Amino acid sequence: MNILLRSWSAYTRATARWPGLAALVPFIPVIALWVAVTESGMFPRAFLPGPVEVVKAFFSLTYRGILPDYLQDSLVRLFTGAALGMLIGIPLGVLIGTSRWAHRVSWPILLFFQAIGDIAWLPILLIWFGFGLTTMTFVIVYTVLFPVVLNTVLGVESVPRDLARAARSLGASPARVLWEVTLPGALPNIITGLRNGLGYGWRALIAVEMIVGTSGIGFLMFDARRSGSVVEILLGMIILGLLWYIVDAWILAPIERATGQRWGLVTS
Amino acid sequence: MKTLELRNLAKTYFDPYAGSHVTAVHDVSLDVQQGDFVSVVGPSGCGKTTILNMVAGFIPHSGGEILLNGKAISGPGPERGVVFQSFALFPWKTVLDNVGFGPKMRGVPKAERDRIAHEYLELAGLSHAANRYPNELSGGMQQRVGVVRALANNPEVLLMDEPFASVDAQTRMTLQEELTRIWQERRPTVIFITHDVAEAVFLANRVVVLSKGRVLDEVEVALPRPRVWDDLIEDETFKRLSAHVLHMVRSA
Repeated sequence: MNILLRSWSAYTRATARWPGLAALVPFIPVIALWVAVTESGMFPRAFLPGPVEVVKAFFSLTYRGILPDYLQDSLVRLFTGAALGMLIGIPLGVLIGTSRWAHRVSWPILLFFQAIGDIAWLPILLIWFGFGLTTMTFVIVYTVLFPVVLNTVLGVESVPRDLARAARSLGASPARVLWEVTLPGALPNIITGLRNGLGYGWRALIAVEMIVGTSGIGFLMFDARRSGSVVEILLGMIILGLLWYIVDAWILAPIERATGQRWGLVTS
Repeated sequence: MKTLELRNLAKTYFDPYAGSHVTAVHDVSLDVQQGDFVSVVGPSGCGKTTILNMVAGFIPHSGGEILLNGKAISGPGPERGVVFQSFALFPWKTVLDNVGFGPKMRGVPKAERDRIAHEYLELAGLSHAANRYPNELSGGMQQRVGVVRALANNPEVLLMDEPFASVDAQTRMTLQEELTRIWQERRPTVIFITHDVAEAVFLANRVVVLSKGRVLDEVEVALPRPRVWDDLIEDETFKRLSAHVLHMVRSA
């Protein structure tokens, strides 16, 4: 008992000093289990390769330049789609959040189209735009759009009425109120929406790449299936998880915290 | 000189829950002279906040007139500064930028509006907090910022809506004393809404007692200034006036 407690407190201190450690250590038992299962010979190696083979595949694909290219393709697609989604989503959310009329007219339409998931658009998109970038971008924008719009509306509506009144009675025009009060007040929610949107978009992108892609991580995995290379499929899955962890934990979450917490809009 | 005139002011609105029209303010007439300090006191539901919201231009009035320097008001405007019970500071702006907000809206250049903001922060004893964010300040300090933010914009009239209702009792007394000091130094025209009778008498030159959307009575407060609680708490005139107003409010 005593040893357990002491090692736990040592672990807590170590993770406080090196926060990266707290993200890595929980994976040790997962990898250990993986090694144990592969080493036990329960499955043929080609059916379930071990971590060493996957790391080897990583270096080989990186050396041949395939992995960096595909990774870049996927990330560029994700961020173009996300940028377009924000460009449409934020103004739309502000409009719906500020105008009761716009809210009434658009809300049923929004919920209707939200229910038609990203992948459900693929059949018709393939007929309209074919197997290409337009189809992929459409799906990403579509996926990013809804969380951004819905969270922007929530953010705009959560700005206290007295703040807009204070700005008006200090001489701000309605347009200045939008810029000085509504947008900054809604910003923490907008970032939450973006964070969710990128998460959904990332998953949708991989699915779309499998079907329409000629490059990208999703394509890599689906192509590996054709050649029966389980190593590359596993590698692709690990990259998906790792990359999202890096984007979310190192970029998006800190931005979300920085806006919400410093302004006292979010507690904890 | 009359700065603000309310002529037979009335407010009726439709209550969707009751399904009928409700009259919050029946017929209120009031003159406020330039540099005067008027408290409006009354029980909750007497229409005092509704009156302030109409004068501020936040809600339309349904009858009568609101004249500022002889001209009818329409909508909110910088000539009517407002101090809110909720403070309503911009959480993403520093204290300095909050106070400089009014001048910024007037197009005052950054250096000049910082100078103005610093001047007013000094008036409230807040110079040390200029670069902090509102949520880092206590409630009392936040409302000091709220008061000087409104003053820094040089309004014709300062409208205060139960501004000290949400701070603790000791802080409230300090804030009241500071407000009377600032009022003596700057002489802004003030309308102060409150349900606290002692506060109304302590601060004002004149107390307007409101009941069920009508003016019940007006009481002159001829107490000498500067006013401090340690003196007034024992003062016979203060006690008599407070008791008089209290009886009116309670029987209203």
